[in-house]
Amino acid sequence: MPSIIEMPELVLEKIIEFSDFKSVLALREVCRDFRNFIENLSDTKLPDSKFEAITLCTFNKHRRKSDMFLTYEEEYGFRRQFYSVMEKSRSINGKTTILENSNIVDVAVQDLETVLKFQKSDLECLSFHFGDFQHHNNSLIHTLPDKLTTMLGKLNRRIKTKEFSLKVNHQSQIVPILRNADPDTLERLSLYSTGDMEIEIDDIVGTEQWKHAESIHCEPYLTNLKMEDVCHFSRISLKTNSVTARDMDTLKKTFLSSSELMRYEFESRNFNEQELSNIWGPAFGFESASHWYFQMKEWQVLDFVVRRELMGRDRRCYCLNFDIIDMEDVPDGAVIHAYNEN
Amino acid sequence: MSSTEQGTSSAAPAEPTTAPESAAAPEVPESFYYVHGKDKVVHKVSAGALQHSALIHGMISNLGYTEEQAKANPFPFENIDGDILQMVVDWCNQHKGKPTPPEDTNLPKQKEKLFDLVLAVNYLEIKELLTYCCKQVAMMVKGKSPEEIREIWMIPTDAEDEAAEKEAKKRAGKEAAGETAAAAGDAK
Repeated sequence: MPSIIEMPELVLEKIIEFSDFKSVLALREVCRDFRNFIENLSDTKLPDSKFEAITLCTFNKHRRKSDMFLTYEEEYGFRRQFYSVMEKSRSINGKTTILENSNIVDVAVQDLETVLKFQKSDLECLSFHFGDFQHHNNSLIHTLPDKLTTMLGKLNRRIKTKEFSLKVNHQSQIVPILRNADPDTLERLSLYSTGDMEIEIDDIVGTEQWKHAESIHCEPYLTNLKMEDVCHFSRISLKTNSVTARDMDTLKKTFLSSSELMRYEFESRNFNEQELSNIWGPAFGFESASHWYFQMKEWQVLDFVVRRELMGRDRRCYCLNFDIIDMEDVPDGAVIHAYNEN
Repeated sequence: MSSTEQGTSSAAPAEPTTAPESAAAPEVPESFYYVHGKDKVVHKVSAGALQHSALIHGMISNLGYTEEQAKANPFPFENIDGDILQMVVDWCNQHKGKPTPPEDTNLPKQKEKLFDLVLAVNYLEIKELLTYCCKQVAMMVKGKSPEEIREIWMIPTDAEDEAAEKEAKKRAGKEAAGETAAAAGDAK
């Protein structure tokens, strides 16, 4: 009987082509010859792993056995692998393998690389979440962002994902990683940080990814925020140190002139409501918030709300929202400003 | 006998070179060729059916054999077992001039036969059949663990492989030593 290993390359390539991702992962473990053959195959000849979401995440506190995990989600179910820097181990389905001579951060990054090599269809979500590294006794985990950036750069192609979710513990980690998302596929960008971090957005707003995304969700406080850098988004949810009444007026005009915008939410540490009244006229007080209503097309009304909220014991902030509502939801007695006013 | 026939064929006018094209035009009588495998059993196959094999199609398109010449010069495929060649011929006949279906469920279930068929089909360059075969080989191990795959495809582990290699080397070394000893004995 002919041995499958001795089959011509074209035949082996075809067999791989008809195998699914899990089979190919198993084939890599069968023997050295198969592993080498698969490693040397170009990405285009590998089957599509068809994952919906991929996450690489580090744990915040070191009370757990593992320091990070890698998850790939399919339509039905998911697979999660845990990595422990201290134990030098990887656990899959409760089965732990000790990798005595390996750098565990490298192992995790390599595993991610393998998964990304097989991913051809667009991901729904790609997440890289770094916790607070200060809680980790082992310094190896600190090298993860750099190693991840290097690996993504070497892939030589941008990752097609509709949502990119990034949690960082330092501003410098954002742009080098974000650059590896395919701007044409990217729809939603989510940024998180450990603690109350402030981020200067000058270099982030310059990326293609920022410019192409349709929605932005940003938890860290953004400094140097300019309205022209965000008004292309159809959905915004972000925090900033300060916005002006002029900024809100610019956004209102953008909203009224475009049919694409859906909802803007700002949380600002500072805001002067009086200035806004000077431009738009007095607000309508409703449900402990100040509202301004602007007529849009047909039965649609733009509802701008300012609400002062207490965040924690002594921190106040302003929540400023633009929302499109139905004409019939405007409370009685409220003035609806005409379409072309201002 | 075949050499004389070949001689006449080269001297004959070049008019029948268009013969393989006849498959496309039904009014022209179909031409046939002959193939045999390791068991020397000769199969008569139409040029239309043989079009599936890029290798044979390439061979016959420039030959311009007459019926007699073709009969006297069957293509020898000594590297293909008789029963495997029979399978290939049957498949080509069944799918002559027809668009191939997306799947083929009539492939051998026995893995030894399937692997032999893969090699034969790859050699004869029958693209569609190779696709079906490779798909079936891939399906054999779908959802299986590395250990199970090793068993199904009968692949030795790296350790077994190394041990076998060592053993083979050792044996070769011994044989060589034996030979030199014998040679030395002869010299004496």
